[in-house]
Amino acid sequence: MKTENRNVGRAGESVAEEFLVRKGYETVLRNFSTRFGEIDLIMNDNGVLVFVEVKAKKGLIFGSPEEMFTRGKYDKVKRMATVYLKGRDVSCRIDMVAVVLDELNQPVSVRHYENVVM
Amino acid sequence: MLVKVRSVANVGLESFGVDVEVDVAEAGFPGLSIVGLGDKAVAEAKERVKTAILNSGLDFPPKKITVNLAPADLPKEGGSYDLPIAIGILAASGQIVNQLNSESVNQIYFGELSLDGGLRATRGVLLVGLFARKGGNVYVPIESANEAAVVDNINVYPVRNLKELVDHLNDIKEIKRLSNLEIRELVDDVSVEFDLIEVAGQELAKRALTIAAAGGHNLLMWGPPGTGKTMLARAMPGILPSLSVPEALEVTRIYSVSGMLSAGESLLRRRPFRSPHHGISPAGMVGGGSSPMPGEVSLAHLGVLFLDEMAEFPRTVLESLRQPMEDGIVGIVRATAHVSYPASFTLLAAVNPCPCGYLGHPRRACKCTDKMIRKYRARISGPILDRIDLHVQVPAVEADKLTSDQLSVNQLSSRVIREKVVLARKMQEVRFGSDGLYTNSQMHNKHVKKYCKLDGETLRILKLAVEKWDLSARAYFRLIKVARTIADLDESENIGVKHMAEALQYKQIV
Repeated sequence: MKTENRNVGRAGESVAEEFLVRKGYETVLRNFSTRFGEIDLIMNDNGVLVFVEVKAKKGLIFGSPEEMFTRGKYDKVKRMATVYLKGRDVSCRIDMVAVVLDELNQPVSVRHYENVVM
Repeated sequence: MLVKVRSVANVGLESFGVDVEVDVAEAGFPGLSIVGLGDKAVAEAKERVKTAILNSGLDFPPKKITVNLAPADLPKEGGSYDLPIAIGILAASGQIVNQLNSESVNQIYFGELSLDGGLRATRGVLLVGLFARKGGNVYVPIESANEAAVVDNINVYPVRNLKELVDHLNDIKEIKRLSNLEIRELVDDVSVEFDLIEVAGQELAKRALTIAAAGGHNLLMWGPPGTGKTMLARAMPGILPSLSVPEALEVTRIYSVSGMLSAGESLLRRRPFRSPHHGISPAGMVGGGSSPMPGEVSLAHLGVLFLDEMAEFPRTVLESLRQPMEDGIVGIVRATAHVSYPASFTLLAAVNPCPCGYLGHPRRACKCTDKMIRKYRARISGPILDRIDLHVQVPAVEADKLTSDQLSVNQLSSRVIREKVVLARKMQEVRFGSDGLYTNSQMHNKHVKKYCKLDGETLRILKLAVEKWDLSARAYFRLIKVARTIADLDESENIGVKHMAEALQYKQIV
């Protein structure tokens, strides 16, 4: 089951990355890992550093992926971003991508939320 | 980019200039933070401003925005900073192209935003207008704009919504400024709840009410239940003159900070009449709250404070009236603020003679014991009674007076009485021209000595009364003041024997 969840996550991340690249973003880093956790994607949108949190779900039986993104998770991403920045002052923001997959891990829907503020 | 917008903080009846500094930074996580000792309402401006800007079809910059309300040590409260913050954000993000702060013109923004971008009525707009004075531009919500428009030499722009204001500042579509409202003399058709002519009998009480209205004297009415005390009191507003312009400004300021002016109202011309229920707390009576708001005594400033069933009021509430009754001003001190509000009112009180109410009634027996009566009377302390100039009995009305169709002899309507009161007040105005007093009741002993010369016979009667009833010095001066008002009602320069004799009728009963 755990492996299954991880697979869903990884599949979601690659779907999200592909989606953003098609939107004109450039990938800076994947899965930046700190002791607080991981940032799924770090992208560059016309000079703005974007920290992307990807939420992927298989089916909607247990609620939408948007519901999984909580205040706690947001704070965590922000903390990890600070670690990544190491005090550099650049313009940056946090985005969220919600991916819904079907049984075969094929994307059903992808929604991108720019500049999430909580 | 950094932008500075001017606004105003009202503390009590005083106003202080506040600089709303807005910085929109290029670097950092997007977000809006507000500093500068704001309360919860100011902190929540964040959500209102953001939503209002978006719903007005404007852009809320996805940048790191910092708002500072200076000076930092002055507590800010309420929603009135919404507008200056929104304007600051729009200017700092280049959506308002014109310079906001030309040195020559002082511009003040004040108002609470609604989520749709509209402006809501905000309290304290009159104070903002008074603060702006001398050629300033004032941008305030359209519903409250009339309050500021009574101030001379300022430009008041009534703002309906954020979009209109932005268009105005960008010279796209001008907002028409309010022309100074002429403070027109109110026509004398005051609609009244009760006309004195409707009250059966009670000639003495009506006369006392007239004197109270003419001289601003405090009046206490004693009497059994159902004899018309409350009706008489409710008829009081109908015989009071309307407020003069400076008086109206004073009263309207208080109502403006209390947020008690209705939309579109500019200047109050009617004298306030406040009748709080006896369940009132001391803070409700004199004013209070962590940022003190005016209480009933201040809301009754230059008008009437009516205490029905005065003996039912808690002792602490009654005692709290002593300072305002003496000084005409009330100081309220709380941890975070120290404010004083004017509270120069005419006290009108109604009280039963005993707990059952029928002491001294011609037909019904009183069921109270001596002890009960003493205890009941003790609820109103001596010092309070001592500050009341007129005491009058309102006895039970005889049945034939109630049933007779024809109104009793020399029955006067409120309108006629009011004319007499206005005349008497005019005489006082002329007399006290330079002393800063409005009415006879405000005279200090030195004024009494200056303005109330008594001839030999009048003085003799007064002395006789003082000896016979063993009156205090305060009571002595009080009698002269009342006699002065009675003489004024008689349009007489001098206080005569008949005036003094009438004044003696209204001395303290117990």
